[in-house]
Amino acid sequence: MPRSDFWSGLAVAGFGLLALLWMIPNYAGTNPFARMPPGLVPSIGAWAMVICGGIIAAKGLIQMLRAGHAPFTADLHWGAVAWAAWPFAYVAVAIWFMSFIKITWFGAFLIGGMLVLLGERRWWMILGCSVVPVVLLYILSVYMMRTGVV
Amino acid sequence: MNFSAVGAAVSEALTLASFIGIGGGVLLGYIVGVIPGLSRSVAISIAIPMTFYMSPFIAISFLIGLSKGTAAGSAVSAILLNAPGEASSAATALDGYPMAKQGKPKTALQIGLIASVLGDILATIILIFVAIPFARVALLFGPYEMAAILAFALVFIAGLSGGNIFKGLAAGGLGIFLGTIGLDNQTGLPRLTFGYTELMDGMPLIAVAIGTLALSEMFVQSEKLRYDRANMSVALKKDSTDRITWPIFRNILPTILRGTGVGTFVGALPGLGPSVGSFMSYGMAQKAAKDPETFGKGNPKGIAASESADNAVIPAALIPLFGLGIPGNVSAALLIGAFAIHGITVGPLLLRDNPELLYSIFAGMILASVIMLALGWFGLMFFAQITRVPPHVVIPIVIFFCLAGMMLQGYGTFGLIILMAFALLGYLMKKYDYSFVTFLVAFIITPMLELNLRQSIILSRGNVAILLDRPIALIFIACTALALITLIIRTFRTDKAAAGAPTSE
Amino acid sequence: MKKTFAAILGATMMTAPMAYAADWPTRPLTMVIGFAPGGSTDIQGRVLANVMEEFLGQPVNVVNQPGGGSAVAFTRLKNTEPDGYTFLFGGTTALTFTPIITPVEYEIDDFEYLAAVAIGQNAIVTSAEQPFSTFDEIIAHGRDNPMTYAQQTPLDEAIIRAIADQEGLDLAIVPTGGGGGMAPLVLGREVDFAYSGGTHAQYTPTGEMNVAAFMSAERSPFYPEVPTLMELGYDYSIEDYRTIIVPAGTPEDVKERLMAAAEYASESQAFKDITEGNTFFPVVYIGQEEMEANVRRIRAATEEVMAD
Repeated sequence: MPRSDFWSGLAVAGFGLLALLWMIPNYAGTNPFARMPPGLVPSIGAWAMVICGGIIAAKGLIQMLRAGHAPFTADLHWGAVAWAAWPFAYVAVAIWFMSFIKITWFGAFLIGGMLVLLGERRWWMILGCSVVPVVLLYILSVYMMRTGVV
Repeated sequence: MNFSAVGAAVSEALTLASFIGIGGGVLLGYIVGVIPGLSRSVAISIAIPMTFYMSPFIAISFLIGLSKGTAAGSAVSAILLNAPGEASSAATALDGYPMAKQGKPKTALQIGLIASVLGDILATIILIFVAIPFARVALLFGPYEMAAILAFALVFIAGLSGGNIFKGLAAGGLGIFLGTIGLDNQTGLPRLTFGYTELMDGMPLIAVAIGTLALSEMFVQSEKLRYDRANMSVALKKDSTDRITWPIFRNILPTILRGTGVGTFVGALPGLGPSVGSFMSYGMAQKAAKDPETFGKGNPKGIAASESADNAVIPAALIPLFGLGIPGNVSAALLIGAFAIHGITVGPLLLRDNPELLYSIFAGMILASVIMLALGWFGLMFFAQITRVPPHVVIPIVIFFCLAGMMLQGYGTFGLIILMAFALLGYLMKKYDYSFVTFLVAFIITPMLELNLRQSIILSRGNVAILLDRPIALIFIACTALALITLIIRTFRTDKAAAGAPTSE
Repeated sequence: MKKTFAAILGATMMTAPMAYAADWPTRPLTMVIGFAPGGSTDIQGRVLANVMEEFLGQPVNVVNQPGGGSAVAFTRLKNTEPDGYTFLFGGTTALTFTPIITPVEYEIDDFEYLAAVAIGQNAIVTSAEQPFSTFDEIIAHGRDNPMTYAQQTPLDEAIIRAIADQEGLDLAIVPTGGGGGMAPLVLGREVDFAYSGGTHAQYTPTGEMNVAAFMSAERSPFYPEVPTLMELGYDYSIEDYRTIIVPAGTPEDVKERLMAAAEYASESQAFKDITEGNTFFPVVYIGQEEMEANVRRIRAATEEVMAD
């Protein structure tokens, strides 16, 4: 898949460059006593990303040019993207919720909602699968780990 | 060895109370291990308050049984759901999940269980008869040796990633970079924390492991539901050929023995930990095999190598603990705390002051392995039923446990955000074929490697000649160089091969 | 900390408050530990929680919030409701030392220091196989030979570096990953001497390690013959108190109840056995007034050492 290689390699190399040029100089700090400055090891990692990402992107590019694959972008299938993205959005919203309400109190709705979205329609299945894990978590956290309700 | 003490110890180990205690520990560990998102540290935090009410011997055997149970249990979710609960089981999923998909989930589970139990028993026997008198050997491995071994492990495991080698190295580079986040271990000054207090101890390993391994897999599978709903579940047929047979066992036995050896070595050296052990063992099995290309596609040896080493590490980590008082890894460090609550100081003192207790613990450990075999064998029938549950039901529940697991460990919203970020990263890596194994191993090894390297450089005062007195370090440096050269040669070879035809994907 | 601190006795004589709201607490309490399970703070905290539970009549749940040597736990504690139901148990280093070198979002005044129940131990240790065992012998040896030292915190490094400069030692200092990382370096004689925050306790009875000196302000009751650095003529010390800490603004009667529970625990045999017998921390009871002063005094002195 030269096209995805090209873009993913570019992203990796880009992150490596960002790390090398901005993160490490500004945030790695200094250590006057160490013979190994704190920025050394992160720089090695960042260089690996820049070099390997660059090679992956270059190879992808060459292959695309050879095969006459241009344009470099393909039509996105929005349906497919949306299908891949909604679980992330769903969980992100759940995490946002968890900063107000404990997961034990709304966990059943979290599981149940996703079950419905994934196409489960049998009510007893939804009820069972959403309530049992939450009850388990309640017992685990309150009675066994004694951390209180999480 | 004092035989009357041994006799008394064994008879204590075989009482009904200890049977229930140890069995309970194995069972609890097994269940927690099976649930992705809940890991060994959750199991141990559950267990510590429970052990307040047990006698020291039962409490400790309970905890060791628990550790063994989680190691064996996490193989189940790795094999059936491709969602390993711990980094150390990630190697099991590489071959276990494909094998289960090929209609042999029971065989895969049985191989995993037998490899676990054998690795465990053999390592326990080594611990009892050989290791404690020789625990001081671990002291020969100073910072120079540890740095060399860690460098070797890093290069060796990076070479494991099949497919595009540059993608593997890029993933490793990201692991190295993210692994350095946290306070500088000497000055205590923040490094790459961007002002977040939560990052001072680095990216929490639990969030990284659960995110890239378990949670990301749920997103991958929920995406697949759209295209491949009919073929998603691992079919569990009433297939009488789906069980481990004598030829399979004979075939994997050498791998199990090698895995146990690797696991014991890694466990006996303080600081390396089970993930290094299981991946090293997996890599060695692949290198030794006549058919290395079948690894990652359901080769039984892959499961056997990873599981035997993962389980052998647990008793082996007790070698430096009982012999020298130094915890071999995080679980062993947790055990020290549990021992202390019971008024027992672990270490060389235990053998001197309380040998009977020590022998009882050994007997308890063997008992735990046997119970694990029995429990696992029957549990297997039950757990194999998980495969009947359709994936669209499994996914939300596993996601819930991943989130709940982070909350249980007290990481709060920030931990959840990191978990989510790594789930996204893991998803992208799986989608674009970057090796998340290399990423994870680099992430785990980097902090240890940097510390030992830094210690070596400071202690040697920059004088390289000091290595001439360090034959073990020299051997491992040579091995690292060799692995690096092979890696480079392989890179260019695959490059040439790939230049003709478009890369396979 | 430049004065010897002699008021532990005085503190124990400070009597418990007479009247308290006997109906508090009415629901379970949460004890926050700023470290992962298994460390010395965690062990002490869990036993303390068990004993306090007996006194308060409500469950005391233990929650681990690891990160940044308790800095994460303090940041969160600052933002919790000051009702006494959530309190922290742990050392004071995250308040007296961490803010000096690292930007954190809390300050000493954000909290109240109700009661210290144990005193941290800070020792300088050597391997028994070394040709030196006392601190003076280490210095004497170091005048003629290059030496190595294993640190665990920037504070002990700063103190040892200052002493090395003063005595003219050629000293290389290596970082370790805590007590578990220190022990193999000392036992394997990779380093000549090292800092120990309590790990030495299991190696001195077998004769594998020697305690050369204490960095604490006072001698340890478990090693009465070992001098402190201050007695040896070096004007430095490290003090750490395992303290019950609540957010500032907690009601007076609630604090009194918690202090009474802490005092009850400090007299409990179970807590004493574990804390002194296994983690080798002397059990004490130091009340709020004195702890508030201690924390501020240690902070000022630490700032002075780190400024050097």
